[in-house]
Amino acid sequence: MKNVVLRTNNLTKKYKDFVALNNINITINKGDIYGLIGKNGAGKTTLMKVITTLTKKTSGEFLLLGKTDDDLTLIKGRVGCLIENASFFPNLTAYDNLKYYAIQKGIVDVNQIDEVLNLVELSDEKHKKFKTFSLGMKQRLGIAYAILDNPDFIILDEPINGLDPIGISNLRDIFKRLNEEKNITILISSHILSELYMVANRFCFLEKGRVIKELTKSELDLECSKCLVIRTDDVKAACVVLERDLKTDNYKVISDNEIRLYDYLEHTDKVNKALIKKDINVMGLYETGITLEDYFKDLIKEVKCND
Amino acid sequence: MINMIKADFFRILKGKAIYMIFLVVIILGIVSAVGISAGHIGISTSSNIDVNDAEFMKKLSAAKTLKDVRNVMKSGGEFPLDKDVIGQNINLYYLFIVVVVIILCVDFSNKSIKNTLSSAITRKKYYYFKTITIFAICTVLVLFNTYFFYFLNILINGKGFSSSLLDVTKLTIIQLPLIYGIISLLICFVFVLKKTSLFNAIAIPFIMAVQLLVIGITSLFRLDASWFYNYEFQFALSKLSSSIDSSYIIKCSLLGLFYIVLFNVIGYYSFKNTEIK
Repeated sequence: MKNVVLRTNNLTKKYKDFVALNNINITINKGDIYGLIGKNGAGKTTLMKVITTLTKKTSGEFLLLGKTDDDLTLIKGRVGCLIENASFFPNLTAYDNLKYYAIQKGIVDVNQIDEVLNLVELSDEKHKKFKTFSLGMKQRLGIAYAILDNPDFIILDEPINGLDPIGISNLRDIFKRLNEEKNITILISSHILSELYMVANRFCFLEKGRVIKELTKSELDLECSKCLVIRTDDVKAACVVLERDLKTDNYKVISDNEIRLYDYLEHTDKVNKALIKKDINVMGLYETGITLEDYFKDLIKEVKCND
Repeated sequence: MINMIKADFFRILKGKAIYMIFLVVIILGIVSAVGISAGHIGISTSSNIDVNDAEFMKKLSAAKTLKDVRNVMKSGGEFPLDKDVIGQNINLYYLFIVVVVIILCVDFSNKSIKNTLSSAITRKKYYYFKTITIFAICTVLVLFNTYFFYFLNILINGKGFSSSLLDVTKLTIIQLPLIYGIISLLICFVFVLKKTSLFNAIAIPFIMAVQLLVIGITSLFRLDASWFYNYEFQFALSKLSSSIDSSYIIKCSLLGLFYIVLFNVIGYYSFKNTEIK
């Protein structure tokens, strides 16, 4: 059984009549880099704020590192956070800001401060005041704070916002190192799917406060890869044809009337003939293959249509 | 969770504000000792100056320099100046505001409170330890004000203008419940308002505004304002420095305790349910 770091159960947050989070059910396992994707206002930050107790849930519950949400006192130190922008005391240096939090968290070994500053490549700037930092440096200091106490789980809200491409690439490497070398589980949000794709191994799509899709990286790859879309009113019979007549099991049933076939991309006519031969009503047969951004857009469109 | 208090001390000692506060106390003490009169804000006066003595008041208002004031005050005879200074402890209200700002408001204005609450401690502990830190620094400030002036006064004006060390200690201690009440009010303002600008806009004129408002209303409607004079912060602190009436001391202490409980309950429940932005 996988070691669960975070599990939410019908987590809901309302601001008067506005539903910011609507019955969120997600599970993050140990070792995951869990990407939370959604447009601005989808509920990513609100979900993180509820988990970090910066705001109160309206209903539902969550389990964080084995503790229920009304009993988080003892595990707070095991969670590192960077919610929205990095916020520190502007007149203190990077080192002093981290020292302040090190004292607050009871960290005796001050070498840890140098270690994390080194990890985020801020060692040379550690004696500069926070107010003189660029946006990228501020974000990196925020990440240094999040990992200061060797947490088991870090929550990063849009950490790549406002960073240049090199900065983004560096941060990506840091996240991977933290995950692989220190076995830290990471929850990271962004509205840029292509960036999250390069770092996360599981994804959750949020829209209007709801989870619209939760999938692994390989599942996402499959969803976005080139395929033949078969639209039919008899999916079961179509599957039989694919396996018996076309000798392939490289397909996926998407819904009651849609199959995605990852073979025969150059031989659409063969597929069509095989299906018609067995009296299967083919309502559509076309090739598709979408980019991550298009996939994201399609998901959101689907939600809008269903609404 | 003494670590949180230690962290705050580490931070404020890195800044200038805390040193400025003590510098202001030192300057106020020197001016009061040299001028042999306790500086004050608001509508109270020194208990040892007879405002009905027209000749004395005329001389005092004619004094142009601190030296002139000193000469006029000396001519009025000896009196316990240190008690007068303790009676004007409401002056420290403005320094308490600075303490509250550097300990608490900056956390809200820099949004660094998010770091503490998300991965260090609970809101209950945050409220508790911030309040303790503020109370501790303000207590040190009050005691510093008392003892610094006590010894400075002896040094500059001699024993004739001084009371005993035990007396000034007693007077300071009996003021503490009311002082903690005032500080609790300031803490409550921060947790309810959550913005430094709003806090400053309300806290700075608060004492004067309340005095003017109540005096205005009581004058307009010809009401008896003695209840107000007796238990308003500034008057009560002033009166406590000269009153030996134990029932009055008990009433003021109970009033202070009531304020401490009331304002901290309001502050905590407001903070408990608020969203940290």
